[in-house]
Amino acid sequence: MSSSSASTITDVVLRARDLSVFYGDFCAVRDVSIEIPRGEITAFIGTSGCGKSTVLRCFNRMNDLIPNARVKGAVEYHDIDVYRSDADASEVRRRIGMVFQKANPFPKSIFDNVAYGPRVNGLHKKGDLEAIVEKSLRGAALWDEVKDRLDSSAMGLSGGQQQRLCIARSIAIEPDVLLMDEPCSALDPIATARIEDLMQEIKQEYTIVIVTHNMQQAGRVSDRTAFFTTEVNPDSDRRTGILVEYDTTQKLFSTPSDERTEAYITGRFG
Amino acid sequence: MDELRKGFHHELDEIRAESAQLIEVVIDAIPRATRALLDGDLDSADKMIRADEVLNGRCLELEERCYRLLALQAPVASDLRQVIAIVKIVSEIERSGDLAVNICKAARRIYGHNLNSELQKVITEMGEQATQLFTAALEAFRESDAAKAAAIDDMDSYLDGLQRHFIRVILESHSAGNINVQVAIQLAVVARFLERIGDHAVNISERVRYFVTGWLPENLTNPRSTNSNDDTDGIPFFEE
Repeated sequence: MSSSSASTITDVVLRARDLSVFYGDFCAVRDVSIEIPRGEITAFIGTSGCGKSTVLRCFNRMNDLIPNARVKGAVEYHDIDVYRSDADASEVRRRIGMVFQKANPFPKSIFDNVAYGPRVNGLHKKGDLEAIVEKSLRGAALWDEVKDRLDSSAMGLSGGQQQRLCIARSIAIEPDVLLMDEPCSALDPIATARIEDLMQEIKQEYTIVIVTHNMQQAGRVSDRTAFFTTEVNPDSDRRTGILVEYDTTQKLFSTPSDERTEAYITGRFG
Repeated sequence: MDELRKGFHHELDEIRAESAQLIEVVIDAIPRATRALLDGDLDSADKMIRADEVLNGRCLELEERCYRLLALQAPVASDLRQVIAIVKIVSEIERSGDLAVNICKAARRIYGHNLNSELQKVITEMGEQATQLFTAALEAFRESDAAKAAAIDDMDSYLDGLQRHFIRVILESHSAGNINVQVAIQLAVVARFLERIGDHAVNISERVRYFVTGWLPENLTNPRSTNSNDDTDGIPFFEE
């Protein structure tokens, strides 16, 4: 693993140390060590089944929700182990938000979607909620499109708008980190470009980690890229994900250090 | 190894083959140009001047194909470096072709003047050395051999030394009354043209190193830049 070649990261927000994830006795991904810097966009790329989404979900303990899932190694958020016994998974998820492949607005109004998190956190004053909803929708570059129909159902928005609504809902609770699991794979190029622009605008405030199947997208939006692949276990013929290379995006896409990265991104892989 | 994007990789291979063929055109042109100069063969010189149009056209077409790949295929990693390197190499080829043409034009201008054996010898030697540099650059390019490419810089130092020697011989021949000042000036620029052809071969080899390893020439440590305080490159002046 050539992660050591990545230019020095001084302000680490998330860190995985020798992280392995098991589903029952199946090892889905093994020995991943990676540091995610503050204020940057980090992209995870690799083939299906290489463990990139699995690692992403470890950062806010979403894997806890999968039966039989077990984690070995450590995941640290600001040097605190998020898997230690007294850590509160809800608190972890409040600070580390998530946006999914398929936009998943609640079947409520646009306003209520964004206000949902703050309300759960105990905010009920109408004026405060309105301010947060406006700020979040502006932050997600959606305000101008929906400001006159905040009471309409979120389900009536287009796919790209729904995805930006989900981003607004995530940032309404002022997280520190946004995890994005293929947030644009169901969107057309214009909606995709909007989300990508938005990511650039908000990355100073929210550290972003994005899983993407689109290598050009990783190249366009991210500051650093991690390439994952799979290893086949010769005994069981099952595949385990590993982290191959982690470096600045510019370096990884112009002069990758590992042959496997080169083969994958140029399309010459076995 | 399985391969995806076969059409793209095939086009990349074709572009590479065409680049090699264009380098061969220059390798062929250098000795022909010096021969035309030494033999006063104006027919051959005219043919070469006209043929340069064809080289220029092929260079432009190749450049266009590179841009098409960049625009449509979004190459990355070694594929990207190869396309970028070829875009740069094409201009080195095109420029070297122009320099060979300039030598042919000098052949017209010195037509009818005899060159003594010492002048003939050093022109021949410079032409051969420039050709060798281009041949070595082509080998490094074809074989993606960064070490071979890196060695070409030393060969160029020898060519630079020959140029200084050539100028000395020109000055001596002029002082001895063997050639007039017009011929002396024409030969001095021919020396410069051949030396520049060598530099273009070095540039090609640097681009080979870039596409093989990602190495980029660093201006501060590049000897050809650090010598730039000396505008004369150690070339003697006329002392009259």
